[in-house]
Amino acid sequence: MQNEAVAKPEIEMLESAHAQAWPQQKPAWGRWETIRPYAYVTPALLFFALFFFYPIGYVMYLSFHDWSLLNLEAKEWVGFANFTELFQEQDFYQVVINTGLFTVLTVALGIGLAFLLALWLNRKAKIYGIIQGTIFSPHIISLVSVSMLWMWMMDPQYGLLNAVLEALGLPAYTWLSDTKSALLSLVLVSVWKVVGYNTIVFIAGLQSIPRDIYEAAELDRSSRIKTLYKITVPMLSPTIFFLLVINTISSFQVFDTIAIMTQGGPVSSTNMLVYYIYEQGMDFFNGGIASAASVILLGLVGLLTLVHFAFMSRRVHYR
Amino acid sequence: MAEVTLKQITKKYENQAVIENLNLSVPDGSFTVLVGPSGCGKSTTLRMIAGLESITEGELQIGNEKVNHTPPGKRDVAMVFQNYALYPTMSVFDNIGFGLRNRGLSRVETKKQVEEIAEVVGLTDYLQRKPSHLSGGQRQRVALARAMVKKPKVFLMDEPLSNLDAKLRNQMRVELTSLHKQMGTTFIYVTHDQVEAMTMGDQIVVMNQGEIQQVASPIDLYSMPANLFVAQFIGSPPMNVVSMYNQPSCVIGFRPEKAAIDVFESLDTVAGKGLMLNGVLVSREILGSELLYYVETKDERVVVKGSTESIIEVGMNVRVSVDAKHLYFFDRATGTRIIGEKRKAMANSVIGGIA
Amino acid sequence: MYPLRLYVFKTIEWLLLLAVALLFVFPFLWMALTAFKTLPEVFRFPPTFLPESWQIQNFAVAWKSGPFLTYLVNSLFVALSILVLQLFTAVPAAYAFARYKFKGRNVLFGLTLIALMIPPQVIFLPIYVFMSEWNLVNTLWSLILPYGASAFGIFLLRQAFMQVPDEVIEAARLDNASEWKIMWKVMVPMAKPVLVTFGLFSFIYHWNDYFWPLIMTNNEQVRTLPIGVAMMKSSEGDTLWHVIMAGNMILVVPILIIFFFAQRHIINAFVYQSK
Repeated sequence: MQNEAVAKPEIEMLESAHAQAWPQQKPAWGRWETIRPYAYVTPALLFFALFFFYPIGYVMYLSFHDWSLLNLEAKEWVGFANFTELFQEQDFYQVVINTGLFTVLTVALGIGLAFLLALWLNRKAKIYGIIQGTIFSPHIISLVSVSMLWMWMMDPQYGLLNAVLEALGLPAYTWLSDTKSALLSLVLVSVWKVVGYNTIVFIAGLQSIPRDIYEAAELDRSSRIKTLYKITVPMLSPTIFFLLVINTISSFQVFDTIAIMTQGGPVSSTNMLVYYIYEQGMDFFNGGIASAASVILLGLVGLLTLVHFAFMSRRVHYR
Repeated sequence: MAEVTLKQITKKYENQAVIENLNLSVPDGSFTVLVGPSGCGKSTTLRMIAGLESITEGELQIGNEKVNHTPPGKRDVAMVFQNYALYPTMSVFDNIGFGLRNRGLSRVETKKQVEEIAEVVGLTDYLQRKPSHLSGGQRQRVALARAMVKKPKVFLMDEPLSNLDAKLRNQMRVELTSLHKQMGTTFIYVTHDQVEAMTMGDQIVVMNQGEIQQVASPIDLYSMPANLFVAQFIGSPPMNVVSMYNQPSCVIGFRPEKAAIDVFESLDTVAGKGLMLNGVLVSREILGSELLYYVETKDERVVVKGSTESIIEVGMNVRVSVDAKHLYFFDRATGTRIIGEKRKAMANSVIGGIA
Repeated sequence: MYPLRLYVFKTIEWLLLLAVALLFVFPFLWMALTAFKTLPEVFRFPPTFLPESWQIQNFAVAWKSGPFLTYLVNSLFVALSILVLQLFTAVPAAYAFARYKFKGRNVLFGLTLIALMIPPQVIFLPIYVFMSEWNLVNTLWSLILPYGASAFGIFLLRQAFMQVPDEVIEAARLDNASEWKIMWKVMVPMAKPVLVTFGLFSFIYHWNDYFWPLIMTNNEQVRTLPIGVAMMKSSEGDTLWHVIMAGNMILVVPILIIFFFAQRHIINAFVYQSK
């Protein structure tokens, strides 16, 4: 008993020694030792301050002003006028709906398909490793090339996809050339690009589930389906949540595919938030509207980030 | 070469004192071993001497110079860690030479000294290897060489042998002792293993709960323990402790190897010259040339070392007798050993006594 | 004997695996095949599979359709400069976050995590505005500086530094190594696998980046490969898919080669955040 009581301070000591600088209690080795950690983090934090935190403040400032890239000297305070104007734009509603629809479809398909693929491909044999690498490969290819490649394959007259459909005896599809199908086509490209990444993340998650839980379930005569939704899915919930957040944020910021494949068309059917901000700010010189839309996007991403952090910290407490 | 002096050293972690007012003098050229159970503060003491832990209060001197605020690299001490702490990305050569280069030694001089020391510890053929390609024993040698090459005033070792297997550990013990003789440098060695302490040290510091219990040579520690803690910590199996009926404020101690055991025939018999305990032999452990008997007396259980020449069967009634000169008396409350006239009186009072 | 049922199952699974692989490989293959065809062959329907004759000169045509050497040099310069800058900012910051205890550490690390979550697409507009106020638009600076510090890199390296046993650092202190030297000579070499992982991540990201150079530049002297390749399409009339695909090969093949040789590292790099 007595020994245990004494042993404790030493254990605590080891833990604190792990995290702390050694001359931590007294700057005995000179004042520099107290300043050193700050000096080490300063360069990185200066960059963050200048290129993350200052812009976040600045875009809010800009969203309350009427301004244009044509004449940056003249910024006129207009209060909430940019936001009121934005919400009166029919276009903006279209953009929000498009972004929402695109996000829901991409996230749902991207995660759902990846989950099935992960359950299937999470095996030891070499062939599964090769397939994992293969489906991951689009993720590291420039979106420029992915977009152009799919654009070529989706070409209504000469494209490979319609040729395949025709060979199968199916009617040709309109792909990017029709307001009804253009958004879906973009979803297809995004899912194709992201599903491999999601699969690999799921596989990493599956592999971190201890094997003995499955063995226990087997001894308890749990059926495969039951094991799946009673053990696998709950154990994967942190992974699922992570993918939801990451995929949603990246769907919100979709730009490259739109800029290259559709320019928001036909008839604004594929215009989404970042592209809208880009158009308003850089092409139409509507700085105020663009910055107001940026603030809204920032709010959405910030909200997701907060939810993510809250979830992460809760998860830490569980363990 | 230097002596190390700790004066009124206190170490606190967030206002909780781990060590309080510790005084210790490590003579120049000695092989001093700090020994005690885990959590006793021995490692913390060593790390304070190394400069890896700050000292909350008190004064630390190395070679008559106060070094409380000297950074570890400038104290002229070297340390061998339990897990060797080799630089995994550097070759053996660079591991040994890193400290020399940091002291501003030239490349040529470094090379010369590293090669010299490699010769001494038998690493010449391994200088270009990475630590991950060495055996445990070889890593241990690299750690030693890295410390030796600096020719430090004081050599610190924190349980350096505990990661080795038993055979290698015995071999390294011998090597370290002879190394100490060759170098003549002050060694301070931390271990929880009392056998290691007894076989290697010439001065042993027994610590418990952040306090020094006794500082003595191995022989004195064994034959003249300052208190009950030391008496029971040193020696294997530990000293037996039994109550004293006529003196409730004291307890009696005796070492298993100093007691005799006989099959108990009748109550009367000899007028003994010491302590006698009657009991039942409940189990025994054969160690080879010796064996251990576990005897249960009325209230206590004692261990006696016997020889394998005549073995007593379990279940027999036995008598354990201890010569009066091998008895130790301790104050029950403080644990301090009772000496002098008082001891004499106590010894007399137990003679022939049967518990 | 092999049970028949199992045999059938295995065969079906292999066919499915093949189908999945094709779904992801074939588009790249189609890009390569198109890049070798002639224009009339590109516009044939239904399309041919293999080119009738292999038109290697498509690549020369693509290369000459713009200042591609400039694009390539810019791409490499920007991606490598960013990488070097990120390493020099991330190593000390990660070391401090991992190894020192100081007032405000958690807050500052929290800010770093926020920077990890906010994508540049969300705040490009204000950055563009002040970049043009400082006359930095249309310079390589505007492509490099905003990425000078990587929150992801700090995060990754911090984890690696935290795993180094204390004793190794203490040994180095006893060896009279300065804190600065311990960081660069002891810790950084120990974090080498993580550095490689991060280096690949950063390089691939910026080599591929289309959005940022598009926003910050409108002068081909400072533009990068993805912009150059994307601009091949904007000419009027028939889209010259064979040349465009050849141009895309220039962009894609280096990454695929890196991926082929460092697949494990790359997958680790991109998947790391999930852990």
